[in-house]
Amino acid sequence: MTTLRNFGRRSIGVAAVLCAACNLQVTNPGPIQDSQLNAVTAMPALVNGMSGDLSYALGNYVDRGGLASGEMTEAGNFSAEQQYWFGIIRPDDVNPDWAAMQQARWSAENGIARMQTVLGANFEKNVDTPRAYLYAGFANRLLGENVCTGVIDGGPAQSDTVYFVRAESLFTRAYTIATALANTNVANAALGGRASVRAWQGKWTDAVADAALVPNAFLYNAIFSTNSARENLDMAVQTISRREVTVFGTVYAGISKTDPRTPWDTVKVGTAIQTGQDGKTKFFQQKKYTSLGSPVPLVKGADMLLLRAEERLRANDLAGMTTLINSARATWTGLTALTAPTTAAAGWTMLQAERGSALWLEGRRLWDLRRWNAEGTNTFLTGRSKCVPVSTNERASNPNPMPAP
Amino acid sequence: MAQAFSSRWTRLIAAAILAVPALGQAQGGATISGTVSERGSNTPLERAQVSIVGKANAVASDAKGGFTLRGVDAGTVTVRAQYIGYEAREQVVQVAANGTVRVNFALTRTAVTLSGVMVTATGEERRRSVGTAMATVDTAQIERSAATNTQQLLAGSTPGVTVLANGGQPGAGATVRLRGVNSVSMGNSPLIYVDGVRVYGGNTPTNVGGRQFSSPLNDIAAEDIDHIEIVKGPAATTLYGTEASGGVLQIFTKQGVEGAPRWNLSVTSGYNNMGHVGPASDTTGLYLNSCAGVHVMNDSARTRFVDASCPASGTWLSNGPIQRTAISVRGGSSNGTTYDLSVTGNNERGVLPVGGSYVRSFRVNLGFKPAKGFTISFNQSYVNNRAVGFPDGNSSNGVMLNISRGSGSNFKGPGCTDLTVTCVLNDSLFTSQVTNSTNHFVTGATLAYQPFDAWTTRLTLGLDYNNADIQYITPFGHLRVPLGQMYQTLWTRQFLSADLASTYRKQIATNWSSSTAVGGQVFENKVYSTDLQSDNFAGPGDPTLLSGALKQITGVTQQRVINAGYFAQETIGWRDVLFVTIGARADGNSAFGKSFGIQTYPKISASYVISDESFWPRRWIETLKLRGAIGDAGKAPGAFDAVRTWSPVAAEGGKPAFSTNQIGNPDLGPERTREIELGFDASALNGRVNLQYTHFDQHTYKALIPVQQAPSLGFAGSQLINVGDLMNSGHEVQLNLDVFRSRNLDVTTRIGYMQLHSEAGNVGGVPLTIFALGRTYVVQGLPIPTYYGPKVMNPNDFANPVIQQNQDLGSAFANRIWSPGISVKLFRSITVDAQGEWQLGGHNLNALAYQNANLNAWQPCFNAQDQMRKAAAGDSSGLATINALDRARCTINTKIARDYGFFVEANDFFKLRSVSVTYDLPKSILRFGARSGSLAFAGRNLFTSTNYSGTDPEVSDQRDDQFARRDYYVFPTSRSFTMTLRLGF
Repeated sequence: MTTLRNFGRRSIGVAAVLCAACNLQVTNPGPIQDSQLNAVTAMPALVNGMSGDLSYALGNYVDRGGLASGEMTEAGNFSAEQQYWFGIIRPDDVNPDWAAMQQARWSAENGIARMQTVLGANFEKNVDTPRAYLYAGFANRLLGENVCTGVIDGGPAQSDTVYFVRAESLFTRAYTIATALANTNVANAALGGRASVRAWQGKWTDAVADAALVPNAFLYNAIFSTNSARENLDMAVQTISRREVTVFGTVYAGISKTDPRTPWDTVKVGTAIQTGQDGKTKFFQQKKYTSLGSPVPLVKGADMLLLRAEERLRANDLAGMTTLINSARATWTGLTALTAPTTAAAGWTMLQAERGSALWLEGRRLWDLRRWNAEGTNTFLTGRSKCVPVSTNERASNPNPMPAP
Repeated sequence: MAQAFSSRWTRLIAAAILAVPALGQAQGGATISGTVSERGSNTPLERAQVSIVGKANAVASDAKGGFTLRGVDAGTVTVRAQYIGYEAREQVVQVAANGTVRVNFALTRTAVTLSGVMVTATGEERRRSVGTAMATVDTAQIERSAATNTQQLLAGSTPGVTVLANGGQPGAGATVRLRGVNSVSMGNSPLIYVDGVRVYGGNTPTNVGGRQFSSPLNDIAAEDIDHIEIVKGPAATTLYGTEASGGVLQIFTKQGVEGAPRWNLSVTSGYNNMGHVGPASDTTGLYLNSCAGVHVMNDSARTRFVDASCPASGTWLSNGPIQRTAISVRGGSSNGTTYDLSVTGNNERGVLPVGGSYVRSFRVNLGFKPAKGFTISFNQSYVNNRAVGFPDGNSSNGVMLNISRGSGSNFKGPGCTDLTVTCVLNDSLFTSQVTNSTNHFVTGATLAYQPFDAWTTRLTLGLDYNNADIQYITPFGHLRVPLGQMYQTLWTRQFLSADLASTYRKQIATNWSSSTAVGGQVFENKVYSTDLQSDNFAGPGDPTLLSGALKQITGVTQQRVINAGYFAQETIGWRDVLFVTIGARADGNSAFGKSFGIQTYPKISASYVISDESFWPRRWIETLKLRGAIGDAGKAPGAFDAVRTWSPVAAEGGKPAFSTNQIGNPDLGPERTREIELGFDASALNGRVNLQYTHFDQHTYKALIPVQQAPSLGFAGSQLINVGDLMNSGHEVQLNLDVFRSRNLDVTTRIGYMQLHSEAGNVGGVPLTIFALGRTYVVQGLPIPTYYGPKVMNPNDFANPVIQQNQDLGSAFANRIWSPGISVKLFRSITVDAQGEWQLGGHNLNALAYQNANLNAWQPCFNAQDQMRKAAAGDSSGLATINALDRARCTINTKIARDYGFFVEANDFFKLRSVSVTYDLPKSILRFGARSGSLAFAGRNLFTSTNYSGTDPEVSDQRDDQFARRDYYVFPTSRSFTMTLRLGF
């Protein structure tokens, strides 16, 4: 037994030495814990993240939104994209877009609440605060213009107009704080954003008032970059790095390749026109975005002019509409002025074509077609999906009933 | 170069050998010597273990079966001889102080043996007392399999083991499962121990271009392996604790034996070869077997294409040479110092213009007996593996993706004399460089202390170090990516372990014995991984990450996780026939959430050697052990899976930013799998009939399942939650028959069978997405995982397809596996062995067919597409012969949604895993001092029978997903033919 006790002591001793040498701390540098963002110094990166999330959501959706609205033709092998192009937008296929749009909205809105807590009295004095409101507004506008149903933070289904209501409020806050901080750029962008969502709520008078304050040459972009893959503009990836979507087969292939609003060109291998990734569809490469880091406009003067033109058309002022359209065309080089149409129907055709070209591949076309279809001035979406339904993932995880797609 | 390499190592080995004997100490006492041979044939058994029961004295027999035990205490001792695959024997002898006694053993061959020991978490346990199934891959199996790595060895080796080759990429690792799947999210790979040292059981990151991983498990050269013990389920792995629910593989490498140095040389030459690729009806073999000339696509325009870069042989395939060399030396001094050192080199090329695997390894195993009661072993190994591959799978530059698409290849260009054809240049595919370079170092030291007969303590300290440099380079001037691109992953994984176990055995009363074991382990698991990317090189030349104008760090992982646990086990034996074991393991893991502290895993098992009862009719069945066990094991979540996190990202052109990462779950804990196991081991007719049967029933509680969170909550991904139940049950049968035994003809057959029933219980009420594009889900009531989605409900009707959504499309994994084998020994010198495997009940998603059907390049669709085109033109007569499934799969109507679900196919297959013929060379022709020699001709994967229409029923793109399986243009596995000369000196 003496030997046994001695050995037992030795074993315990060995175990104690082993455990003393153990550092039981787990480490995993990289992911940042939520509480670590509650610091003043974290605010700039938090707001940059809102911008990044918005660009990511918009940049990825531009492809599929373009396919659903006839801006591009599918030339690849992705089944979801094929369905978009056929005009079938299924909950299964919208998971990434729904999630990215919601993430952009949530991160901006949640970030604003965090900033209020962290910055306290300095909240409205912080240079990043109006930007945060601006990104929250654009994220809501992106949702409002493209999805069929409003869902906020895992809550019940609502009218999709909820996003426009929220966006208007957020743009107003952005405008107010930016103006106080003398940040003209953000203030103009907020005005432009608010003008559009006011118009989409039928508040055309207020919308035109906002739009008129935005300079014709104004441009506010969602920023993309070649710095990292997440910052790339996916439309550029799919048309420069790959050949997944093509201008071939769209109305824009019938417009001059040199129209500065809708530039495209063929790509040839030898003398033959290169085909898309599917090996069979002619590949006409869009030239609006020439780099994986090309920006995508969120607000621009031409958009505001066309919005005002539409308001004139709705007032049956065809001459006024044409003047504003030509002002919009004048923001590009080389476009000649158009003659005023003589009928409202012709006016709608002109306006819709002009908005199509001016806002080409900016993720805005599906909404325009949807609202015009509802008003009976455009039939492109007749028989096709008109908006992005609640995704399968949201349906599977949100306890509230969701409308059928 | 190989010879020079071997020469250097030979000198090093010789120097090491000379140094080793000086480390031992002289021993006094009596000597017992003798031989160990096979009963009947009298064939000497090399490396049989001979020991004094209850003492630390143990040696291994030499090539002639001879052994010498020195330093034996005077008195009456029991000498035991045991050898895997044979019934152990004991003899009681009387030895005088400093005297010499001779004892010879003749062991009976049997697949079921209850003598000897198994290595378990507590150390060595007597086989008869173990209440769970035991499986061993022995030396003979290893030598006849012609396998070059561990995963090949395991394929078809024993019921309950599933090995799926994932692709034909050189050096590609396989997926290994023991008793199927009992975890959705935490992996199902078994824990791996090598000579008692815990090593990393996972895989390297997958190559961006090659789409396959390397498996460190394969770094152990088959020539170095003595045997493998397979511990299959949680009932048996309870004491291994958290992470052990996938089973345990115990790999034992060859150890030294007392005696003069014995050299062994093994030289292998051969070649890899690829047969027909793809559907038999496609005479071009997806344009791999035949690329020459003008080919016609099946589109409406009948597009013609020529591959101007097709080799002069008219095929992209050729035989890839194999060259392997292994040199080893083993021996030991009379004072207990032993050594086994080996060097191996393996060069082999694949069957495409690029691709090969180049492996160098050495192993040093040393054993010492520094003092009475003490044994120390040091086991070191180092492997350098450079696998050179090619872009494969779901890669734009992929070999299968481009070549099989015909005119749809991404590589088009000038070079065809006929200007009316589409001209492709697929040789550009092979300018990309895909390499997985790995270094794997394992070192371990085991101290065993036996102060007196009843008490044994073992301490093992180990370090397992893996690093990998994984590169995918698309060079400047590349046809598809003209400015070039480089991906590089630098990965290091280090596993540090300390393992202490102590066992005390005693007779507590007449007929009653006790074995008490306690112990503990601490594991530190570190991983460092950095993913890098460089784009747009300035010009030609071998690029580095600095060569690109655009450089990105795309991923960084730096994790350290600690798992510590303690166990206690008590085995009570009654009359040495009935054993009841109870035990428990308590584990802490740094990845558990706040609500979880120490996890406890209990077990209880019993074994009853009923054949040792006096009433048992041993005349018919000489051995029968009944066994049963119930036990728990677990799987821990990953580090920081429990907390809400944000990712540091770049935005607005490189500005620092945060983006949501993981929503978090503070209540996260380990999942727990409970297994009930019942079975028996039987041997009859003097070891000629051996049968093992096991039924197991596993239930995973609080399964860790990635549950999709509402995206409107701002976090796009899923979150691990302890939700749901998974069920996994089955039967395992192993039957070994000595069909005929005689002096000049010895025929043994073996057949293994496993049946699995896998089913998801309540998993939250909705299908859980594993891999949407792979149509792979976990669905309540269906196997785990299952293919799920739209299905053609009237596949064989000659009518338009009736499609219904959300249908069960079949299990991803096989649920019945047969492993037949036969070994025939002729004239005591020629051995013919064959091993096959049927896997039934599984499915695979043939995404190659899905894509190529759309591109009019899938031959099985050609007729259907032709008839549908005619029908579109007004002639529907041909449609009468086209069934609904083909109409859906081969549709030419782009408005009809073709779906991956239509391409989920049963992948039942039979593969002839290995065939070998070994001739033991007669001593009369041996030269240069050789003592023994053999010449073996072997083939692997010689024959496949399957109705699966893809290239290989086993393959899956490992970058898509490693739980789901999708055959997305994955290059199939090849077959090999080798000739091996083994010489012993």
